Amino acid sequence: MSDLQYKYIGKPADRVDALEKVTGAAKYVGDYYLPDMLYARALRSELPHARIKHLDTRPALNVPGVIAVITSEDFIDHGRFGFPVKDHFALAFEKVRYVGQAIAAVAAETPEAALNGVKAIICELEPLPGVFDMDHALDPDAPQVGFEREDHKHPNFLDMSPVYKGDPDEVLKDCPVVLHEEYRTVHQEHSYLETEGALAIPTSDGGVTVYCNNQSPFITKGNLVAVLGLDPIKVRVIQPHVGGSFGGKDDLNYLTACQVAALALKAKRPVRMTFSREESMIASYKRDAMHMRITLGADKDGTLRACKAIHTLDSGAYSSQSPFTAWRASIHAMGAYRYDAVKVEVTSVYTNNGFSGAFRGFGNTEACFGIESAIDELAEKLGMDPIDFRLKNCLRVGDVTPHGQKLTESVGLVECLETVRKLSDWDRKRAEYARQTSQDTRCGIGVAVLFHGTSLGAEGVDCATNTIEILPDYSVACASGLTDYGQGPRTVYTLITAEELGISPERVRILLADTDTAIDSGPTVASRSTILAGNAMRVAAQTLARTLNFAAADMLKCEPQRVMRIGEAYVGPNEEPVSWEKVVDHARSMGLVLSAHGKWSAPEIHWDHHKGTGTPYFGYHFAAQVAEVQVDLRIGKTQVLNIWAAHDTGKVIFPQGALGQVYGGITQGLGYALMEEAIYADGYLQSVNFDTYLIPTSMDVPDMTARFVETNFSPGPYGAKNIAEPAMVPTAPAIVNAIYHATGKRIRVLPADLERVALGKSLHKRGSPVSCKVGLKVK
Amino acid sequence: MEITFILNRQKVRVDVPADITLLSLLRDYLHMTGTKVGCEVGECGACSVLLDGKLVDSCLVLAPQVEGREVITIEGVCAEDGSPSDLQKNFISAGAVQCGYCIPGMVMAGEALLRKTLKPTRSEIREALTGNLCRCTGYQQIVDAIEMTAKQRSQTQSGRDKNV
Repeated sequence: MSDLQYKYIGKPADRVDALEKVTGAAKYVGDYYLPDMLYARALRSELPHARIKHLDTRPALNVPGVIAVITSEDFIDHGRFGFPVKDHFALAFEKVRYVGQAIAAVAAETPEAALNGVKAIICELEPLPGVFDMDHALDPDAPQVGFEREDHKHPNFLDMSPVYKGDPDEVLKDCPVVLHEEYRTVHQEHSYLETEGALAIPTSDGGVTVYCNNQSPFITKGNLVAVLGLDPIKVRVIQPHVGGSFGGKDDLNYLTACQVAALALKAKRPVRMTFSREESMIASYKRDAMHMRITLGADKDGTLRACKAIHTLDSGAYSSQSPFTAWRASIHAMGAYRYDAVKVEVTSVYTNNGFSGAFRGFGNTEACFGIESAIDELAEKLGMDPIDFRLKNCLRVGDVTPHGQKLTESVGLVECLETVRKLSDWDRKRAEYARQTSQDTRCGIGVAVLFHGTSLGAEGVDCATNTIEILPDYSVACASGLTDYGQGPRTVYTLITAEELGISPERVRILLADTDTAIDSGPTVASRSTILAGNAMRVAAQTLARTLNFAAADMLKCEPQRVMRIGEAYVGPNEEPVSWEKVVDHARSMGLVLSAHGKWSAPEIHWDHHKGTGTPYFGYHFAAQVAEVQVDLRIGKTQVLNIWAAHDTGKVIFPQGALGQVYGGITQGLGYALMEEAIYADGYLQSVNFDTYLIPTSMDVPDMTARFVETNFSPGPYGAKNIAEPAMVPTAPAIVNAIYHATGKRIRVLPADLERVALGKSLHKRGSPVSCKVGLKVK
Repeated sequence: MEITFILNRQKVRVDVPADITLLSLLRDYLHMTGTKVGCEVGECGACSVLLDGKLVDSCLVLAPQVEGREVITIEGVCAEDGSPSDLQKNFISAGAVQCGYCIPGMVMAGEALLRKTLKPTRSEIREALTGNLCRCTGYQQIVDAIEMTAKQRSQTQSGRDKNV
């Protein structure tokens, strides 16, 4: 489809909330100071695994300023919650499983009084042996972290996600070139600049309104209803502006919301809890760590034949999203290639290393590092150029994936590879850098590709509903259950509404997410907002547009199909043009309803979790990234000089926002590649603030070059796919492959920090519980 | 204790505890929430303000230290007519804003740089932002916005110089 047919889709536009953000007017949850508001603080475990022997909160109530204290006893069924596994509690019950887990919570007149209240609580913990090595979590004598299982499997076993095609062991016997290597990724902290928080306001009907900086307010509401036993009509969740999330503000913040709500109901006053950075880092879930064992086989001509990928995922103390993360990792573990045979098994296990949950890329970020490193190593063994090898084997339209899914359209991987090859001057640099002899600094250039399934896939019900309404001032208000925590969907919905109604985007207002005005559309995750809610927005706007067209035809005395638009005005063959406002007025006088719902459901797909076959996703994003690095061989320091990224996003609706997603994603991938490591030593997180947990600064990132390959994707609105997660996924392997090109040293454990690059290993450091213990009591 | 200082061009007098930070004074006592809390150890720059024209992390400044001095926060950044400044407008048009939480601090850091030079290189702009972390944008469009503003301001200035 040509761009000419659109007025707003794919055209330059400003973010709808940018003005209030650049002036400092935008309110985040910590910016609310209400009259009579109390400040809450949680007592958090200083042990990684322990039985709660004795818990007495009464002394806290004697502390001046303390108004209310709660424990798990204040919730129905002790606040037990969790999806897909109900293994967590709103406050710890009987046991704690990780350092930072909330045990009790206090509300007080001031933050200082709340902390004093926490310190006054008597809490005796009996230490239990812990599991800190995922590779030994399923040993018969491993300490028990999880509950007993009905199927009598190991209590530390969470789930296993397979993909099976043929018998790779048989095929590997025939392969003249075989690679077997192991790769490891580490926990990564989301590092959103705004920490977690929630504010609860008791309402006169005995209910509660909660402002929470989560991603998915309807899930927060569902949990509040369940653990507080309130009538759903009395529970309202509002999402104010959210200062970044990247997958990180769901599970833990559901607990925070439940805690402040229970305190507010008890104190009968508003209660706000906002985390210090230390509390945020210690208590929050991380990207899982993964141990990957990959075997690849190929013919001498470079045809890939077989892949085995046997991975272990450290879910930490609770399930959170790990079974889904492991599933997405399994689907993508073999990479975007054709094979005769594949065997993938991703097993997630419990340990006492914090807890792991959703983080941008959701298993694929980890798996892509493994497979794209292995593919590079195999190309080297075969004596092939890494891009040529990928081009020879990568998925194209018409191919059947190892899962058994035929790709019928929108596979832009070849074009992505060719785009980055050209932009980066790949062939010249590969040859030139291969001739370097300096022992001081050397340059290298590396590539990685990705495929990334759109939306939830066979993980769950996949539909969204948006609403639209014309207000008395002729503005158009829309609501969506899929929310904006920085990624930009409110701007996408605005452009779609303007396009379909033929009105200026300035007329459109997308409400902040609120469970009283929006309709539950599932979680805001998996880069699904543009496709799911974008389609829903389009359906809603088209419905309203038909109504207005009918009214315009009545005014213009012609058939509805003869009504044309010039700017916002309606034009017919006979009468003078009429303005949008006049048509709206006329529609009202005709008694027409000027609001609409738009629902869109994703195409039905199916996955057989036992046979490991099916159609896991209804579409895929494809991409290729090339990184150019300079490595100081003496100290192991890697500077990324350039990144070129080509992403098959389908039609781009909001280009400036899509570019921002690519740049930001690459930067998180760069951090993952070179510096970010949330180290747990015997369950204690070693970095609890940005002085020791380093994320990329403006000096660590080069100017990046991004291109979009806009293959048409029929289910997407205007042919659009997704962008948020895929942007970060291939960056780390591209950088590490570039480091290999520069140094001849293969880094198989992330991050490729100075020690690993210079020495080939991390120097042993003794861990300490001190940062956590001090951090949990920071004022 | 009583502290008197100039806040966004207005003289203010407050009576607050002596052991609080400037960040706490602005947010908890004056409820000016444009200045954000990020790390409270001087690493992230979300709480950046100008103190006597110099960029500082307000979490590292004790409230009594501002006695008699001039503080500019994001609420005090605007064009002469009160509308958003050229730098703020360029943040919007360059797509420099995502979640927005680091943005007040980024605007302050950009403003501090542009007070020193109107001809910064991209690398100098990046260096001026090292004390301000952003997790969303990868910094590129923020650098673009500051670069655009520098060019516009230096054109206006050279235009003015010619007229003189």
